Amino acid sequence: MFKLFERDVISVDELSKEQTSIDVQHLSVSLNAKKVLNDISIRIPKNKITALIGQSGCGKTTLLNSFNRMNEFINKHTVSGEVWIDNRNIYDKKERVSQLRTQIGMVFQRPNPFPMSIYDNVSFGLRIQGESRRRALDDSVEKALRNAALWDEVRDRLFDSALTLSGGQQQRLMIARALALEPKILLLDEPTSALDPLTTLYIEELIVELKKQCTIIIVTHNMQQAARVSDYAAFIHTGELIEYSDSDSLFTMPNKQQTEDYITGRYG
Amino acid sequence: MRRQIQLNTHISAKYNQELENLKHSVLTMSGVLEQQLVNTLVALKENSPSLAERVALNDARVDSMESQVEQECMRIIAKRNPTAGDLRLVMTVSKTATDLERIGDEIARVAKLVTKNRIPSSEIVLSGMMDIGNRNVAMMRATFDAFARQDDKAAVLAHQQDTQIDRVYKKVLEQTATEIQSSPQDIAIWMDVLWAIRSFERIGDRCKSVCEYVIYLTYGRDLNSSSMKKTVKKLLK
Repeated sequence: MFKLFERDVISVDELSKEQTSIDVQHLSVSLNAKKVLNDISIRIPKNKITALIGQSGCGKTTLLNSFNRMNEFINKHTVSGEVWIDNRNIYDKKERVSQLRTQIGMVFQRPNPFPMSIYDNVSFGLRIQGESRRRALDDSVEKALRNAALWDEVRDRLFDSALTLSGGQQQRLMIARALALEPKILLLDEPTSALDPLTTLYIEELIVELKKQCTIIIVTHNMQQAARVSDYAAFIHTGELIEYSDSDSLFTMPNKQQTEDYITGRYG
Repeated sequence: MRRQIQLNTHISAKYNQELENLKHSVLTMSGVLEQQLVNTLVALKENSPSLAERVALNDARVDSMESQVEQECMRIIAKRNPTAGDLRLVMTVSKTATDLERIGDEIARVAKLVTKNRIPSSEIVLSGMMDIGNRNVAMMRATFDAFARQDDKAAVLAHQQDTQIDRVYKKVLEQTATEIQSSPQDIAIWMDVLWAIRSFERIGDRCKSVCEYVIYLTYGRDLNSSSMKKTVKKLLK
């Protein structure tokens, strides 16, 4: 049949191993003796944007933090299940967490630049990893800033304090800092909630561009944002994965009544 | 106020592309239908049942296109939350696709006249039908040219072509009535012919609706509203 619109969306059930970036199997997480995630199984596709949506406290951020074992910063936590990235279960005892975190970048709700120059902020991770060659650092900083669509704005003031940048610029700097390590996966936790609508659209456009380089997982409360940027979307409610599908289907014809109620603002 | 919608100025390049594709989908559909109409006229003139059969079969393709356009409109509304000119464009495309699908049905109905071997024996009725058909082709071209360029003046001019089609339609109906009186035994055939003539007339009406959507897209108002009358006069000067 003649096709007017081209779509390259693969159903989540048909994702092959090669197309999968993160494979979560029966993941349950308890924090401070409270079960936050209950038996989550989800396959996150490679080089796509996956949005995690749901009410506050439903477990979206906990799931996001499970991908780079950030939950371990909380003292009383227990994890069961498996999270497979690059044929490795990252919860295996042999896993080197510091190395894992270099492959998985993370950007938080509020930009948190270090009180140092723009250049030093971006090159921070590389220096920690032992890179000291000036030329290599220069190249990486420029590349990361270009990828974060910030280069043209800061190229003449790379050694100014990062704190002098505007909110939108600081958030792009955070993305550049994460990109400097060339991560395979980029985790974004409400990356635009503190920004104005126009800057939000610029960051969203940047996110769409970045999926060519890495897999992106975004946690957002903004339903419209999830609809705009994501290729796939997962709805989580009280620690359970209610529905997960390509976002075209989820936002036009969700399978579950619970999802429909949530995305149409009828929940609760 | 007149507003020309710029499709390529959103921050999101993908959104630009989606709206551009949506607009193109309507033009693709109208192109297919124009060819369908031309083929029907050829089949009618040359009494070619095979060509008419192809037109009738091709209608499924038009139906599928309409359904794809509708789905895409729904997807864009759900995912992009379009507002102002973008929303008017999506609504215009959605309504235009429905009208185009109906035009497809009308064309298929005329084509079936040939496949059922019910071409009117009267030369005068047949030439009247060809006249409306050719006027329909011209009106469709003018309408979708106006749509492609978002040209309000061209839309108003195309809109006016329907008056001429209606005039010819009435004349052909009178001629057909005379023919029916002279051969009442062929009433079953004449009924089909009457429906086909009516279908041709409806194509003009559908194009007229699309012209009104183009005006709505540009001004956000109905072409026939009192507030548009002055604007239309100005456009036609």
